[in-house]
Amino acid sequence: IPVVSGFVELTIFPTVVNLNRIKLNSKQCRIYRVRVNDLEAPFIYNDPTLEVCHHESKQRNLNYFSSAYTAAVSAVDPDAGHGELVIKVPSELWKQGDEMNVLKVYIEFSLDQPKGGLHFVVPDVEGSMAERGAHVFSFGYQNSTRFWFPCVDSYSELCTWKLEFTVDASMVAVSCGDLVETVYTHDMRKKTFHYVLPIPTAASNISLSVGPFEILVDPYMHEVTHFCLPQLLPLLKHSMSYLHEIFEFYEEILTCRYPYSCFKTVFVDEAYVQVSSYASMSIFSTNLLHSAMIIDQTPLTRQCLAQALAQQFFGCFISRMSWADEWVLKGISGYIYGLYLKKTFGVNQYRHWIKEELDKMVEYELKMGGVLLHPTFGGGKDKDNPTPHLHFSIKHPHTLSWKYYKMFQCKAHLVMRLIENRISMEFMLQVFNKLLSLASTASSQKYQSHMWSQMLVSTHSFLKSISNVSGKDIGPLIKQWVDQSAVVKFFGSFAFNRKRNVLELEIRQDYTSSGTQKYVGPIKVTVQELDGSFNHTLQIEENSLKHDIPCHSKSRRNKKKKIPLMNGEEVDMDLSAMDADSPLLWIRIDPDMSILRKVEFEQADFMWQYQLRYERDVVAQEESILALEKFPTPASRLALTDILEQDQCFYKVRQGACFCLAKIANSMMSTWTGPPAMKSLFTRMFCCKSCPNIVKTNTFISFQSYFLQKTMPVAMAQLRDIQNLCPKDVLNFILDLIKYNDNRKNKFSDNYYRAELIDALTNSLTPAISISNEVRTVDNLNGDVRLILEEITRSLNMEKLLPSYRNTITVSCLRAIRMLQKNGHIPSDPSLFKSYAEYGHFVDVRVAALEAVVDYTRVDRSSVELQWLLNMVQNDPAHYIRHKILSMLGKNPPFTKAAESPLCNEALVDQLWKLMNSGTSHDWRLRCDAVNLYYTLFGLTRPSCLPLPELGLVLNLKEKKAVLNPTIKPEQGLDTTEMTGNTMGVHIPVMGFTSSEDEIDMESPHDSQAFIHHHLNILERPSTPGQHPVKHPARIILLSDNLVLFFSRTRCTSTVDQAVLSLPVTPLPSSFGKESTSSSKHSGDHHHHHHHHEHKKKKKKKHKHKHKHKHESKDKERDSHAFSNSPASGRSVRSPSMSD
Amino acid sequence: MRESRSGCGKATSSPAENYQLARRRTLQVVVSSLLTECGFESAEKATVESLTEMIQSYISEVGRCAKAYCEHTARITPTLSDAVVTLNEMGFNVDTLPGYAKRSQRMVITAPPVTNAPVIPKALIAGQKRTHPSHIPSHFPEFPDPHTYIKTPTFREPVSDYQVVREKAASQRRDVERALTRFMAKTGETQSLFKDDVTAFPLIAERPSSIPYLSALLPSELELQTLEETDSSEQDDQTDSENTPDDPGADKENSVLLAGGVVPSVKVSEENMIDNPYLRPVKKPKVRRKK
Repeated sequence: IPVVSGFVELTIFPTVVNLNRIKLNSKQCRIYRVRVNDLEAPFIYNDPTLEVCHHESKQRNLNYFSSAYTAAVSAVDPDAGHGELVIKVPSELWKQGDEMNVLKVYIEFSLDQPKGGLHFVVPDVEGSMAERGAHVFSFGYQNSTRFWFPCVDSYSELCTWKLEFTVDASMVAVSCGDLVETVYTHDMRKKTFHYVLPIPTAASNISLSVGPFEILVDPYMHEVTHFCLPQLLPLLKHSMSYLHEIFEFYEEILTCRYPYSCFKTVFVDEAYVQVSSYASMSIFSTNLLHSAMIIDQTPLTRQCLAQALAQQFFGCFISRMSWADEWVLKGISGYIYGLYLKKTFGVNQYRHWIKEELDKMVEYELKMGGVLLHPTFGGGKDKDNPTPHLHFSIKHPHTLSWKYYKMFQCKAHLVMRLIENRISMEFMLQVFNKLLSLASTASSQKYQSHMWSQMLVSTHSFLKSISNVSGKDIGPLIKQWVDQSAVVKFFGSFAFNRKRNVLELEIRQDYTSSGTQKYVGPIKVTVQELDGSFNHTLQIEENSLKHDIPCHSKSRRNKKKKIPLMNGEEVDMDLSAMDADSPLLWIRIDPDMSILRKVEFEQADFMWQYQLRYERDVVAQEESILALEKFPTPASRLALTDILEQDQCFYKVRQGACFCLAKIANSMMSTWTGPPAMKSLFTRMFCCKSCPNIVKTNTFISFQSYFLQKTMPVAMAQLRDIQNLCPKDVLNFILDLIKYNDNRKNKFSDNYYRAELIDALTNSLTPAISISNEVRTVDNLNGDVRLILEEITRSLNMEKLLPSYRNTITVSCLRAIRMLQKNGHIPSDPSLFKSYAEYGHFVDVRVAALEAVVDYTRVDRSSVELQWLLNMVQNDPAHYIRHKILSMLGKNPPFTKAAESPLCNEALVDQLWKLMNSGTSHDWRLRCDAVNLYYTLFGLTRPSCLPLPELGLVLNLKEKKAVLNPTIKPEQGLDTTEMTGNTMGVHIPVMGFTSSEDEIDMESPHDSQAFIHHHLNILERPSTPGQHPVKHPARIILLSDNLVLFFSRTRCTSTVDQAVLSLPVTPLPSSFGKESTSSSKHSGDHHHHHHHHEHKKKKKKKHKHKHKHKHESKDKERDSHAFSNSPASGRSVRSPSMSD
Repeated sequence: MRESRSGCGKATSSPAENYQLARRRTLQVVVSSLLTECGFESAEKATVESLTEMIQSYISEVGRCAKAYCEHTARITPTLSDAVVTLNEMGFNVDTLPGYAKRSQRMVITAPPVTNAPVIPKALIAGQKRTHPSHIPSHFPEFPDPHTYIKTPTFREPVSDYQVVREKAASQRRDVERALTRFMAKTGETQSLFKDDVTAFPLIAERPSSIPYLSALLPSELELQTLEETDSSEQDDQTDSENTPDDPGADKENSVLLAGGVVPSVKVSEENMIDNPYLRPVKKPKVRRKK
């Protein structure tokens, strides 16, 4: 049973005289005692997010929930000066407050089987914890540090840190900052890691991971250390061999050293997200590691590294003023990551990526109705909700849907790119440099509040920097894309006026449907004529739809002349397809993607074909491929085939052409001549000259060819004949590819290729012809399907003996089997998938299996499977899997609010309601996933399957009233907490939702918010402009956090302490006894400690400092030593860089 | 007398056997008469058999040795002197022989019945027997049968046709894989896709692993082996025409992806100097000072 105990010491410099309450964030921590300057201090613990709606309300409507949830999150929002933990400063110290003396808040706490914040991975095998590869790491969505120690869990409260972790001697504790020293405990069975982070850092950027890691010092940069789980060191060496180049790149473009003196990468299993960045360290999923034989994962892993590093600069080192400024950080880190992509993977890849991101974001906004980067909130009333179209509030990161947040990041970096377009990249980088140098100067200063705030970026300061550096006004751009949600939707068409030799372009907009906005301003149009390519900037105005563009060329047919392209190249073209009267080859609207838009442009098929063949921009090529789907003609076929054969063409364009060609071939079925599409092409490119039915042995030396070779069979399998079956030729061809596949001479693994061949088989499947209700048996299996099934079973079985990298083949096989079931070839049965979905399989396999179960649940309307899935959401050890199940259910829902379903019943409503109301309070992301699912299934209003309440309407009104009218009621709660004040023995249970009755009864989150406002709102820390008005101008400023985590009984160290281990599972009384003994021992230390501390204070008055000590530590000397070295003074800024 | 009773052996036995039986019988008569001569009135059959065996061995040994001596002197027929030397060698005084032959009480034994000498079975004739070349005198032995020295190839030409090789390799691999997976499926737990026939398309049952990422991420030994092999042959491959992409962009992307894995050699010497806090030794706890 994982138990973590520790203490935190915060040093607080009051900036107001009447500071008598301190609010901190803390979730699921069991707090044993709080002392302020050695005096026991009473405290109240109330977490309104544990259970959002307390009434056993029959309401069950999402509107109600969302507003309640938002209110609950607001009630503990550190940016607004709130917190779950309210500490009453002992009255003896109030006088001291007058003198503005330092307050030292000491909190002793433990975490018992934390459900969020820290994740323990303990493989169930023989051996010691280290041998088993047991490890733990911190995780969370946005500011989630409060889950594992009490702190001001805000990105805007900076302080310096001293961290100590005592762990089993076989473990390594990796955390933020510099490892000063590692010391054994007296019994030599544990080690204490001492970290110092002299750079002011927000608590939300603090992380920890502990495990029996293998350590790799980067061979290029000795300040960089990599950690991976046992046995993976060879993979780590290979995967990290590239990191120094990313470092170099960022340091060069930002002309700024990496801000921390060291950097650590930790690779953990069951990661919450693939990449998460914290101050001077990043935690990655171990599944990013790969050997030199793996092609496909290599660029992905490097991209993840590059993202993590970009966030080190913007996100960790530079933090944000408030949630509304998040877009700046995400935007900048995403933008410089894009620059890295451009440099490393080429301009084609970069532009392709931008287009992909833009399309994704536009699609989301059009569907969901707008992503707002910089929300401003008025009075916090519902009326002022800037995004009424959403079923969640965007006021807090913790209320956001995950998908929305992803699109938010996407839009942020796209907007940064727009700013770059406007002010030039040079200025852009100067702005970044300026932000970094200001922050860097500030970080080395001693504590002065106004200096440290330079390390926080706000929308305002960012825009000011831009205007200072560039002298340009980007106000309209910001207004359009940042202060306002939604995208632009253009429809374009044209006519050529031969008499005037003018191109009459019509650009219309749709700004009425959801997610769209009106665009007014310049737009670039590129016209490729016979005489060359010309850019025109048109002005989109209120009422002008038509634009006349004079053409430069006469529509003459000078047969011999080469045609100049945009990039200066001159090419020969076969112009016979052209309209003889027009000199226009093709037209592009907004070719540089400098508007966040969707363009639907109409031009003739031959123009798209010219564009595909001759326009060198990959975005144009991809657009024309998409357009050509609508023109199934031999000419389109030829253009696509030519592109496929052209090896100078970007491989992703060629991949896209494969799928387009398959679609065209299907539309042209009756007139198609020759072998099936792509077959002869594939034969020519990849098969042996002497025996064209046999594929060459694999080499994969040219990656472009490799990707094409993977894609073509998958696309070919989409071909259909007159009976709407996959042509026999094609199927046999694919089966032959599988049969003759030979990788023995290849230095790369062919696992992705083989997986895609299975995917091709899946694609070839068509619904079985069957008499209804016929039982699927082996005997009536269709001959072709039998062959396919043979391959799939053999491949799946071989995977058990020789597993492939990331089990790609198993994943493909599971999908294939589901497809066979769905098409009625084999009996539909979820049991196979359910067994593969169990904990203990590789995560990709689990996700694939779960996807099949989700699909089965929808198709067969199975309540058993739905229950099984929801159980897993509540009980699975891996947070990612829980999240994935809910998001897959949301994407492929068993039913929707629009349709009747037997699954939709009261019990399900109750279950889901409970899940989002109280069952997911340990994971913000999961709760939002549950909200999303609830929305998909039942909509915003009362679920239709619930029995109509009497006077439902009245109730709704009432409820609304209740929302607006917070009642102040919890007198009794206050009493309880006052009583708790006197001794450390008082304990407020914080774990588990069942105990909520015993806690301070807050009728509703509104109530609790009101309660806190009413009783405790004496201190309000500075809030960003536009946020809650500060009722009382009191302020506290957090100077330093002293954090000691004592891992007395983490699973990682369970061998350590037999006495502790033998504690019962419900350790409240006994463990408390233990704790109190240890704390009494501790308090002895503590006194000493404070002596020391006071001493320190004299010496370094007004400086922030932090110290920590372990429970068992007798190392006060070391503490003082470390302290004198620690903060602010003489920090050596050594950047891990090649140039060192 | 016995010999007169037993005219010949069984009619069914082969001529060679008859020949030998006759001679053996004569030897038995000799032994019997010698025994009579020595004064025995009767003898057990087994004794007579043993003595016969001994005398046969003795005579055979004399013959063998005499033949050896004669061949030693490059002759093919033993002479008297060969026999004499042999007998001497075996410790028999030849001079006593004439006297013994002329002893008075000796018995005369009838000659063994005439039987046909056994026919040497004809050897298989393979090909034409070679005649002696002119430089070898005709009295020399003939050449042995041709099959004893003519080489007769017994293997077929290996198939070198590329298509067939690939075909074979592919089907062989498939057969092995199928047999192996079937075997695994038969001997272990399985899952089935069909309810009516659980043996059709058996799937080896999945087994959750405690550390699933290890097998999913680490290359298998087979792959590592392949990697080593291809690495060693890499230098040759580098010059392959296929390996020089025409597209400069392609080249760049490849080199970018291929780069890495190689630690700069310069750094190796610095290894020892790396000062990384995680590599430093763990300190011993300080002894608490008494207050």
